[in-house]
Amino acid sequence: MHKVWAVIRREFREKVRTRAFIIGTILIPTFMTLLIVGQVVLSQRDTGLRHIIVVDAAGGEFGSRLEAALRDVKLGSGDRGRTKYRVERIKAEGRMEPVKDSLVRLVGTSKDSLSKLDGFLVVTEAALDSGRVEYYGSNVSSLTEMGALQSTLRPVVLTERLVREGVSPAMVQKASAEVSLETSKITQGKLTGESGESSFFLAYAMTFMMYFALLFYGIQVMSSVIEEKSSRIMEVLASSISPFQLMLGKVLGVGSVGLFQLSIWAAAGLYITANVAPILALFKLSGDSATGVSIPSVSLPLLGVFLLFFVLGFFLYASMYAAVGAMCSTQQDATQTQQPVTIGIVVGLMCMFPLLNDPSSTLARVLSLIPFVAPFATPIRYSVAPLPWPELLLSIVTTVLGVLAITWLASRIYRVGILAYGKKPTLRELARWVRTA
Amino acid sequence: MTVPRGGIFGLLGPNGAGKSTTIRMLMDIIVPDAGKISLFGAERTGRDLSARIGYLPEERGLYKKMRVLDHLIFLGETKGLRRSVASAKASVWLERLGLSAWSGKKVEDLSKGMQQKVQFIGCLLHDPDLVILDEPFSGLDPVNSQVMKDVVVEIAREGRTVLFSTHIMEQAEKMCDRVVIIARGEKVIDGTLAEIKRAEAGAGHVALAFTRNAAAAARILEDRTLIARADDYGAAAEVELAPGADSDRLLKALVAADVGISRFEVVEPSLQAIFIAKVGTDAITAPAREDSDA
Repeated sequence: MHKVWAVIRREFREKVRTRAFIIGTILIPTFMTLLIVGQVVLSQRDTGLRHIIVVDAAGGEFGSRLEAALRDVKLGSGDRGRTKYRVERIKAEGRMEPVKDSLVRLVGTSKDSLSKLDGFLVVTEAALDSGRVEYYGSNVSSLTEMGALQSTLRPVVLTERLVREGVSPAMVQKASAEVSLETSKITQGKLTGESGESSFFLAYAMTFMMYFALLFYGIQVMSSVIEEKSSRIMEVLASSISPFQLMLGKVLGVGSVGLFQLSIWAAAGLYITANVAPILALFKLSGDSATGVSIPSVSLPLLGVFLLFFVLGFFLYASMYAAVGAMCSTQQDATQTQQPVTIGIVVGLMCMFPLLNDPSSTLARVLSLIPFVAPFATPIRYSVAPLPWPELLLSIVTTVLGVLAITWLASRIYRVGILAYGKKPTLRELARWVRTA
Repeated sequence: MTVPRGGIFGLLGPNGAGKSTTIRMLMDIIVPDAGKISLFGAERTGRDLSARIGYLPEERGLYKKMRVLDHLIFLGETKGLRRSVASAKASVWLERLGLSAWSGKKVEDLSKGMQQKVQFIGCLLHDPDLVILDEPFSGLDPVNSQVMKDVVVEIAREGRTVLFSTHIMEQAEKMCDRVVIIARGEKVIDGTLAEIKRAEAGAGHVALAFTRNAAAAARILEDRTLIARADDYGAAAEVELAPGADSDRLLKALVAADVGISRFEVVEPSLQAIFIAKVGTDAITAPAREDSDA
C-alpha cells in the first residue's frame, strides 16, 4: 500500500505542477467571469435605440397602431426600461417608390447615433392579406433584432385583421392575453420547488461534466502510461512495484487530480454566480442588467449518486485507457487504439436525450444495468426522479461487477503490455496476453 | 549458475547471449520458460525481495519532467523507504557523485552521463544487499566510469553482493572475483577468476609486441606447430602456445624474423583471450528465435 501511495502522490504532484494543469484550472473560471461580464458589457454598451420610419401606405389605423406598438417596446425588463424604438410615420399613399428610394439613401448615413436612421418598415394593404411586411435596414442581419421586430408586428397585424372583421379592439386585447405553462416538479409526493427547466439543466450539466471528465482524465492516464513506456522507466518500476499496484496508483492519482480540478472549478463557479454584482462592480458595471444566473439546487442523495457513479465510471474507463496505453508504444498508435473506449463514453453522452424524455422506460432500465453507460444513465434518471431502492441497488451492483471485470482484464493486458515494445498486438495476441499474464 | 554472497560477480557474454534476459528473469520482469530462480536462498521473486535488491536496467529511463531529488525520493519510496529517509540518503549520494547542484533541476536538463548517475543512485538508495547492474559502464566517460567503479568496489568491500553484466572483458578482469560466461543462452565458463585462468592456461600464454616486419611476424603467428591461437592486434598480440611448443622457440623464431621485439612476457591468459577461445566467432551472433532478448 505504501508503494501505491507513492505512485499516487507522484502522479498527483507531477500533474498538478504542469503548466497545462495550472493554466486549465485558472482559465475555466476566467472564462466564466468573462462570459458574465461580456454579456453585461454588450447589453449596456449597445444603447439598443433604433430609429425606424414606418412608411404607411395602408388605410385605416394599421399604421398608427404599429407606431404605437413599436413605441411600447421597452429595452430590458420591467417598467424602468427605456423605449427601444424612435419611430416616425410617413404617409406614403400613391408615392411609394420615390419615398422608398429617398429613405434607402438615408439609412445609416448619419454619423450621429441619435439621428441615424436604422431602417424603415413598409406597411401596405397587401401586407395585411399576405402577412408580409417589408423591412429595409442596416441591421437586418441581427437575428435577435429581426425576431423582436417580428414579434412586435405579429399581434398588430392580427389585431388589424380582427378589427376589420368587426371585432372591437378591446376584445382583441382580451383574447390575445398570453398563456404560459408554469412547471413544478413533484418528487416522491412532495413539491420540490424546482421547475422542469432547472432539472433539465442539472441533468445536462452533470452529463457533460461526466463526459468531459471521463474522456479528459482517462486520456491522461493513457498518455502517462505511454510516457513511462517510452522513457523506459517502466523496467525499474516493474522490478519493485507489481503492475497492478502501478496501474491502481496511476488511476487513483490521475483520478484525484481530476476531482481536485473539478472541485476548484465547482467552487469557483459557485463563488462567481453568488457574487455577480461585486464582480461586475470591479469592472465598473452595474449589476442591474445582469441576467439572473440561477443554479438549480442539487439534493444530497443526487450528489451522492453522481459521485458514486463518477468514481465507478472513472475506474472503468481509466483502466481501459491504461490498458490501451500499455498496448501502444507511441501517442500516434494510441490515438487510433483508444477509439473503441472513447465511443463508449460518447454513447453514454448520447443516452441523455432519450433518458430525459422518459426516464422510466424499458430502455432506461436496461441502460442503467450496462456498466459502460450506467455511469451516465443512472444519475440522469435519478436527477429526474429518485429511483426506487431495488433498482438503484441493482444498477450499482452490476456496475461494480462490470468495473471489477474490466479492471481485471485491463490489468492483465497492462501487465504484459508495459514491457512489450514494437508493434501493436492483434486481438489474438491480446487474448493470449490476458491468458498468460 | 550460483552467485555467492559478497564480492563482485561478472556475467559475461557476447551481444545477444542472454545476459539481460537472465537479469530480467532474476527481477521477475519476465518469466522463465523453464528452470528455477531462487534469491537469498528463498524461492521468491525479485519483486517480493525488491527492498533488498538494487537494479539498474540496461535500458536507462527516468521521468524526464521530474526534479532530480523528487525522482530519487520516489524511487526510494518504491523500495519501501520512508520519504524523509529517502530524501536524506539521496542528498548524501548526490553530494558524493558531485550532483548536488543539480538536485532541483529537471531530469531532462541533465546530460546523459548525469542521468545515468542519478539512476545509479536510485538503485543504491535503500542499501540493498544485492546490486544488479546491467552494463553499468556503457556510455560513461572514463572519469564517471571511475567514480562508479569506486562505488561498486566499496559496496563489495562492505560484504554486499554486486552482480554486473558486461561484454568489456578488461573491466570484468580487473573487478570481478567470479565470472560466468554465457553464449547463446548456455553457460560456457563458471568459476573464480583464478580458477578459470589456471584451467585455461594450456601450454602457456605469451604477450608480445614488435616494432617492424609485421608481415614476417604475422607468418610466425600463423604457424600452428608453434601457436595454438593468437589474438593479433597488428603491432601486439596475445598468443596461446601450441601443445609441445614453448616460449623459447617462439622467441627464437621472432628474433630470427627480425621484428624488433618490444615486449615478450609469459603471462596468465587474459579474460579476453579466454572469452574469445571459449565463445568463438560462431557464437557471437545470437540465434534468431531469441526474440525477447534485449
